[in-house]
Parts: sequence; C-alpha cells; structure tokens
Amino acid sequence: MSKESNHLDAKGLVKYFKDEFKTKIAKAEIKTRKEGKKQNEIVNIWMIIDKSIFRPFIKHLIDYQYPHLAVVSGNDYPKDIELVYHFSLDYGKDRKEISLNVSVTVPKSKPEIESICDLIPGALITEREKQEMLGIKVKNIPDSRRLFLPDDFPEGVYPWRKDDKGMKKFIRNLHEVKK
Amino acid sequence: MGFSMLRPIFTQMFKKPWTNKFPVKYTPPNTTKLLEEVAAGKVQINPPIETPKGFRGKIKYDKEKCIGCKLCIRVCPCGAIEFKGKEKKIKIYLARCCFCSQCNDVCPVNCLSMSDEFLLADVDKYSKDLIVE
Amino acid sequence: MAKSTTKTTYQIPIGPIHPALKEPVMFEFEIDGEKIIDVDVSLGHVHRAIEWTGMRRNPIQVIYLAERICGICSFVHPMAFCRAVESACDIDVPERAHYLRVVHAELERICSHLLWAGVAAHEIGFDTVLFLTWEMREKALDLTEYLTGNRVTKGILTIGGIRRDVTSDQLPKINETLQYFKDNFEKLRHVFLDDKTFKMRSVDVGILTKEDALKLCTVGPTARASGIKKDTRVDQPYAAYGDLDMTYMTPDILTGEVNGDVYDRIITRLLEVKQSIELIEQALDEAPSGELVSEPKIPKLLSYIKKTKGEGVGRDEAPRGEVFHYVKFDGEHENPYTWKVRASTYNNILAWIPMLKGEQIADIPIVAASTDPCMSCTNRVTIVDKKNKNNYILDKEQLHRICIEKTRRLMR
Repeated sequence: MSKESNHLDAKGLVKYFKDEFKTKIAKAEIKTRKEGKKQNEIVNIWMIIDKSIFRPFIKHLIDYQYPHLAVVSGNDYPKDIELVYHFSLDYGKDRKEISLNVSVTVPKSKPEIESICDLIPGALITEREKQEMLGIKVKNIPDSRRLFLPDDFPEGVYPWRKDDKGMKKFIRNLHEVKK
Repeated sequence: MGFSMLRPIFTQMFKKPWTNKFPVKYTPPNTTKLLEEVAAGKVQINPPIETPKGFRGKIKYDKEKCIGCKLCIRVCPCGAIEFKGKEKKIKIYLARCCFCSQCNDVCPVNCLSMSDEFLLADVDKYSKDLIVE
Repeated sequence: MAKSTTKTTYQIPIGPIHPALKEPVMFEFEIDGEKIIDVDVSLGHVHRAIEWTGMRRNPIQVIYLAERICGICSFVHPMAFCRAVESACDIDVPERAHYLRVVHAELERICSHLLWAGVAAHEIGFDTVLFLTWEMREKALDLTEYLTGNRVTKGILTIGGIRRDVTSDQLPKINETLQYFKDNFEKLRHVFLDDKTFKMRSVDVGILTKEDALKLCTVGPTARASGIKKDTRVDQPYAAYGDLDMTYMTPDILTGEVNGDVYDRIITRLLEVKQSIELIEQALDEAPSGELVSEPKIPKLLSYIKKTKGEGVGRDEAPRGEVFHYVKFDGEHENPYTWKVRASTYNNILAWIPMLKGEQIADIPIVAASTDPCMSCTNRVTIVDKKNKNNYILDKEQLHRICIEKTRRLMR
C-alpha cells in the first residue's frame, strides 16, 4: 500500500502530485530555511489546490505514505474562506522530514467541505473546531457537537470571522482605568 | 512498600528543612498586632532570601530623562502605561503590570529600570504605592 | 448501546498540581460492573479566546500572550511563535541565540518531566516519591530563576533572538546543578523502574497499539512509547539541535521490547531526562560567541513586519509533544492576520478512548495521567451504570481514593 522504499525528496513529491492532477494544482512552492552551525534544512511545501480534487488528493497522499496531520488552520477573506491542512511526512528517518501545507478555498455562499475522518481518524477534533469557529459545514463528520464553545452560545456567530458574523457584543473592556 | 525507599526516608530525618521562615516562624493569631509590635521594635522579622541579579521587581521611572515618545505604551502587553498628554510624561499602573521589562528594552533614553522590590501587596488597586509616575 | 447525554456546565478548573491549564475534561463512561465499555470525551470548559485576542495585538505583545497559554510549556509556545514569524518574514537569528534557546528549552523539559513523575506517583498512592521528585525539581527551578529572573513565565524571548545571555560567571552554578541531577538520576530510576508496586500497577495497563497511535496522530512521549519514532527535534532540527547528537527515545533502548503501556511511558520520560542533561552540557560547551538579537531596535522590526506579506509555520517539541503555530501577515497591518495555535494535548486526547476500553474504573487516573495532559485531568467523571440504570458523579477526590484503595488491595 505505501511505497516505503520509494522515498521522494521535495521536488520529487511535487512532481508526484502534479503528474496526477496537472492543472488543478494552482501553485506549488518549496521554501527552505536553514538553522544552526551545520545549516540543516527545514523544508516546507506550500500548495494551493482546487476544491474538486480535495478527497482524491488526500487518497493519493495516503497511497504514498500515511501522513501525520498536525492541524487545520483557517484564513477569513471578504468573499471566501481558505483552509490550510498541515501534514508532515517522512518522520522517523533522521532529519529528513518534509512539511506539506495544502490550502483549499471555499466560497462563503456555500461553505462546505468533505470530511477526511474515515481516512485519518485523528482529524475529528480539528474539524469540529473549524465547524464552530468559522462556520464551515463539514459533510459526513461522525460527530458534529460543539467542541470549545459552550452549548448555549448563539447560533450564527462565528468568532474567527472578520465580517458581520464575527463577535460584536461579547467583548467587555475590563481594563478601562478610572482616572 | 518498597525497601528501596527506606534509606532516603531515614536520611531525610536528619536534614535541615529548606524553608526560610519569613517573616516570622509561626503564623500570628492577629496580624495587626504583629505589625504594631514590629513597629515598636519588640519582634524581629527574618529577612527574605536575596533576589538574584537581574530580578524584575517594581519599575523605577526617571522623569527628567523621558522624552514622551510613547514607544513603551506601544509595546506593553498589558496596557499598564498611560500617557499624560499635557506634560508628555507617562503613568504606570502596577496593578496591571506583568513585570516583563519589555518597556525597559524599548526606551531610547533608558529612563526605565527594574528594582528588586517585590513586596507589593496592597488592598487598593490604585493606591499611591502602586502607581509610578 | 444507548448513550445518555449530560449538559456541559461551566467549570473552573481546580488543578492542584499543573499551574496554567487549558481546559478540564469531562468524560462519560459506560460500565458493566467495574469494567469500562465505552468512553466519551468532551472539552472546552475553559476556553480563553487567546487566538482571537492575539489577532488584535502587535507581535511583541503576542509573545507574552503566547507565554501564558501553558505554565509548564511556557518557553516552547513563544519560541514556536517567534520561529513562525521569523519564517514568514525571513528574519535571521544569530548562532549564539540558537544554542541558548536549546539550553532553556531542555531545562524546562527536565522541570516538566520531574513534575509529571511526581504526579504519576501521587495517582498510584506513593506520596513519598512525589516529594522526592519535587525536591529535585526545586533545584531545577532555582537554576531557572538564577538564569532568567522568574521560575515559570520566563520572558526572555524576542523575535530574532533571545534577551538574556549566559555569562561565564554563571557557569559554576549551572555545572553544580547538572552534577546534582546526574548523581540523583540513578536514585530516581531505581525507585520507578525496579519497584514492585509500580510494576504491578502499570505493566499491561492502558495499552495503545502502534496502529492506533499512527491513525489518531498522537505526538510526544505517548507516541514514542508505542514504538513510533516521532520527535520534532530530530526530524526537522530547529535551533541548534541539528548540531548536537541525539536520537529518538523509545522504550526498547532500555528493555528491548515495546508494549505501549503505562510502564513504557515512564521509561520514555526518564530516558528523556537523561538525554536533556547531556544536551545542556553539550550546548553550553559548543555555544559560539556573538550577538544575541539580529535586530535590537524594536520600532524598526515592527515596521519591517508591517510591510512584509507572508505566512509561516513554527513547530517545536514541548515536553508533551509537538507544538504548532501558524502565522499569516497581510502586508498592511503589523498585527497578525491569522494566528493558529495547536498545543500538544489536542492530539493525545483522542488516544484516551482505545486506552481506556476494557480497563477498570480504578485505573482511570493513572492511565489519564500517563499521557501527561496539560490540564487537571478528570475534573468530573460521570458514570453510567448499565445494570442498575443510574448515573452518579465521581469527582476527583473520590476517583483518587478508589485508585489508592486498589493499590492497597494488590499489595496484600
């Protein structure tokens, strides 16, 4: 199932995905950063992919090697929401780990994305958090209760959004100093 | 239980405890009366352990050197510094200060420094001892 | 299997041991007699909106906010944030700062593992060992105060370097403390690993198989004790870890086999304490001289960040696992546009479910404490008794008492 002996480096990995999905990958960029006296490299791959190939992309990644999902982070723009999935590959081989950051854009008129909990069960907690904080609906999620916000928090208010659905009335300025 | 633990337990009985009995050996039944006795010189207070070098205590502010650039207000994580517009000097509220000394690092004329005073407890957040200006 | 629902309530965590907490956890178990059949975990009782607050402050203020996410990992969180900003804006860090960051991070790891060892012993009922390990921890905290000025929230990091130096007249005290640890390490190992009571309570309890640990994306000593080689310090060497010689710490270094139970996690953490002592010595020997910060003038740094547009990721190895920070700047404001924090306990929470199925109620505290959660574990536990069909709540004291009574029973 996984080609353990076929270890690819960063450029080979980008080619592996581009060969399969061709034009649906909008951008793939490799950034390295060197730290310390021996200047060891820390490799980060940033990719922007289309929403339609999201699940095939994840399946293709698991065919290569079972990744470690760190977290899903979200950026809120005026017209759409960008979700960034942070994976890491090749841990366990001394100093050869590659970080893969995949971003998917979802329009605000229809904020939906498929769940990957059947492929990677550890993604449950981070998907639940995105559902309540950004207002994204995750389809086929096994457990869609609220994670961090209390149960009586009003519906339709999403704390991380910067538009009108964000938090307005919940802020109390505790530190106004009496003169 | 584990015969391996008997030896350290036995040696512990002969060691001096690490506690420094500051201010007095036992809790007084009446704190106000203790303060009066100390003022009258009847009771001695054990001194606290010396603070290490570079300890971050109460802020000291040198008013003449300050040029009113407002950099310390911009960097303070707690919002503890207020700007007095007319005189162009600052006022620091110690009730909100977290003693990070970031304002010391930023000040271009070095008018702020940290002393080693740490006994700052008070009942009123805005009392005179807790405002530096 | 019918599951009854409970209403979540606001709970103020009264964590008697861990200083700054992220959240108390609410469990819901289904039991049959004394055995646990199913587990349900729910979080979110103390949510402090730190990421929302951080998006409204400039990066220097966010460092101090990141420090207060967790009291024990209070060096690793600001370090991950600083590394994320440095990666997003391309800021260099001088070499001496890299080595000093390693020294402080490893010192914090020693403090945290000794605290955990005391907590694990306390959950079993062995209070004497609690005081023994915490006596050793006091020496480590004294050294931290000598070097940085504070015991817990150290406040010595900045973007582009470190604020305080380790001068040569501070070296004798550091060497004296490290020698104290080396002399007492054998005592610690003997108490934990050769004692019959510990072995009885921890071998074959709370097993997490390698497959489950991979699928649930666990991190830190919890994953390493199940045989997975995952350590951010070795995989993606940051700061000066690439120059020091270190390897993955798995239990088969000491015992030769990997079971994935509580005993293996104790072994992993004790091996890491030994590794930290060696790393500090090596880092202090090899640290080059030089400056500490690449950009000492803060207004210049802030205006540079204001003009840069980019995103960056900072990943570090806290005592509990991998810590992840993601920062994005939009090139117009100096506040970060997005800041996402993922502390290491989030991934380890789902691992409780396979670990606890099939165990007894009295084993809950030791299994939950063996993953070293960064919170007061099992603040409130609701038991659903299937046979008698009643619910009752056991709070922390009652659970703790049940756990100790089991130890006494086994010893007879």
